[in-house]
Amino acid sequence: MSTRLHVLLGEGGVGKTTLAAGYALALARSGKRVALLGIDPARRLHSALGLPLGSEATRVAELSGAGTLDAALLAPEATLRRWATEGLTDPAERERLLRNKLFAVVADRLATTTDVIASARIAEWLEHDPSLTDLVVDTAPGRNGLEFLRRPTALVALLQGRLVRWLRGEHEPGPIRARILRSLAHLGGAEMLSEFAQLLSVAEGPFRRVLSRLEHAEACLRDPSTQILLVTTVREQTIQAALHSSSALAEAGLAARAIVVNRTLPPALAMELRANDDASLDVGAADVVRYALAYLEIQARIVVDARRLASSVVEIPAVGGLDSDSRLDVLARLGDVVRYALDRNPEGSP
Amino acid sequence: MNGLPRVVFVLGKGGVGRSTVAAALGLELARQGRRTCVFGWSLADPIAPSFGAPPAGLDPRPVAPNLHVANYRPDDTLELYFVHHLRLPRLYRHVIRGAHVRKLIEAAPGIAELFFVGHIWWLTSLAATEAGLEFDHVIVDAPATGHGASLFDIPGLLASLRSAGLLALETDRVTRMMADPSWTGAMVVSLPEELSVEETLELVPRVSQRTGRRPLALLVNRSAGGADTDRWAPRLEALRARLSPVARCGLDTVCAEFETRRRFEAALCSQLAGATVHGLVTLKEQLAVPGGHTPLDIVQNLAAELGAALGPHA
Repeated sequence: MSTRLHVLLGEGGVGKTTLAAGYALALARSGKRVALLGIDPARRLHSALGLPLGSEATRVAELSGAGTLDAALLAPEATLRRWATEGLTDPAERERLLRNKLFAVVADRLATTTDVIASARIAEWLEHDPSLTDLVVDTAPGRNGLEFLRRPTALVALLQGRLVRWLRGEHEPGPIRARILRSLAHLGGAEMLSEFAQLLSVAEGPFRRVLSRLEHAEACLRDPSTQILLVTTVREQTIQAALHSSSALAEAGLAARAIVVNRTLPPALAMELRANDDASLDVGAADVVRYALAYLEIQARIVVDARRLASSVVEIPAVGGLDSDSRLDVLARLGDVVRYALDRNPEGSP
Repeated sequence: MNGLPRVVFVLGKGGVGRSTVAAALGLELARQGRRTCVFGWSLADPIAPSFGAPPAGLDPRPVAPNLHVANYRPDDTLELYFVHHLRLPRLYRHVIRGAHVRKLIEAAPGIAELFFVGHIWWLTSLAATEAGLEFDHVIVDAPATGHGASLFDIPGLLASLRSAGLLALETDRVTRMMADPSWTGAMVVSLPEELSVEETLELVPRVSQRTGRRPLALLVNRSAGGADTDRWAPRLEALRARLSPVARCGLDTVCAEFETRRRFEAALCSQLAGATVHGLVTLKEQLAVPGGHTPLDIVQNLAAELGAALGPHA
């Protein structure tokens, strides 16, 4: 594969979106042709880059040198509609699909379909722009971020499974199969089942396409050049979450390339605050000192734990000023920290 | 906490401390003598471990007097529903557990969510007679915003499909539960920081619109409040002068962080005052509070703060 995939995973609030934007920007400024896909349904990428972004790729301006950066947000509804219509040339068929209630439900209202669409969107982007050198993917937080890795397999399995073929009427079900179908009708109602069957038969073309994209996305994810970055922050519970993500990745046959500990403070601060213990501080100032000391204590523990989980641990210093005019420069500097750390340690060996 | 409904959904984006706040709310209700279950939906339950217990599964696990913790697992919930509740073990074994139908349930959007909310219904209605579990309150640690708020959309969505049979029955029950103000309410957790505030400003009206009533409260976690200032750096000038440049830079970052939080807290206060029943409740940044910072310390401190802000239950 010629395009390298970078996937950022982590709990919500750890700064994944900001880091994804910074990392993509840093890669582009170093001369790469980079794409950045924001998957988070909360659309935070928009705020991070300070640019209006849509579901179509937008060129992020002000890059010197040969590199380029295109960014897009995942808009499940618009993307699904586009796929449905590009896959169906017969307007009547297209109409039937768009009028199908289940399709409307899937397209309009459920954030949970994000994972599947995201995977297929990755493959689509690679298909349309093979000259990309890097694709950086910002995932939805927590449970859903990992589902993004797992859901394609689940959906591929479903769409290729026998149940779907019976529902589509490809095979005449035997007596036992017929009983299973009757039981399902009993559970969800015959109308819902027929609506589902209709969706499956009309949408066959688009589904096939999505299916092959999902397979392609999964292959990309498993490509040895792919880098999965597990982002964590200085909070007691996040390292616990990173541990669970690590084992969930292992279950899926994948591994994190590095753990990125976001928003670290200089360890020297802890020693110096202790050496300069000042009892005369007023309430507000004492709060700040207590906070800094407690924060640095947790940080030290988390860095040690992270080294046990991954061979590469990248610390990103806390910065202010992301709302200033030099926002893109600050972002790119953060991204450079990640880029240099990974370059220094190319094979992920300790 | 007078008049809190039986089910309180704690909503907010990932990372705002939603689980911790849900645990604290549960603990405070339990301390006031209410039998309470905190019900979450995580890959691995983070709440029971903060009380020193192993992670909870679907079976509510006692962690403190009057307090249980449970964590949603779609597979176990289906088994409970079909085998123990509907008493259809053969249907479960031969159809639901079958590989093809399992795949359908895993991949179909909305089904897992329906059973999540359906299980909350069960916990507050039939669990007493079917499993001997009686709860006055279920505190729901809802999945992150987007996914969290969409829980309120599920019943309407499935109803719009005109489903029939058991799914319709389940949808109907859940709809009734969600519509009843004495049964269901929501609280929103936010952080005093840019992205979280942006999201909260969208989420609060959305919850009001979907539920037809104001959320119970807006909880601002990790508040920098307490000091009568919004400029921290000048107060630390003497200390700052004695630090090395690197350490000084770190201290300035922390001061800037506190000042930013104060600013965003004020923004939330001015824009969402009156948007919730109990108004805005600030919860202090726990790392700035004297004493220990173990997960249990933090849950206990926050429980006390919630108790002071929301009042006694009866």
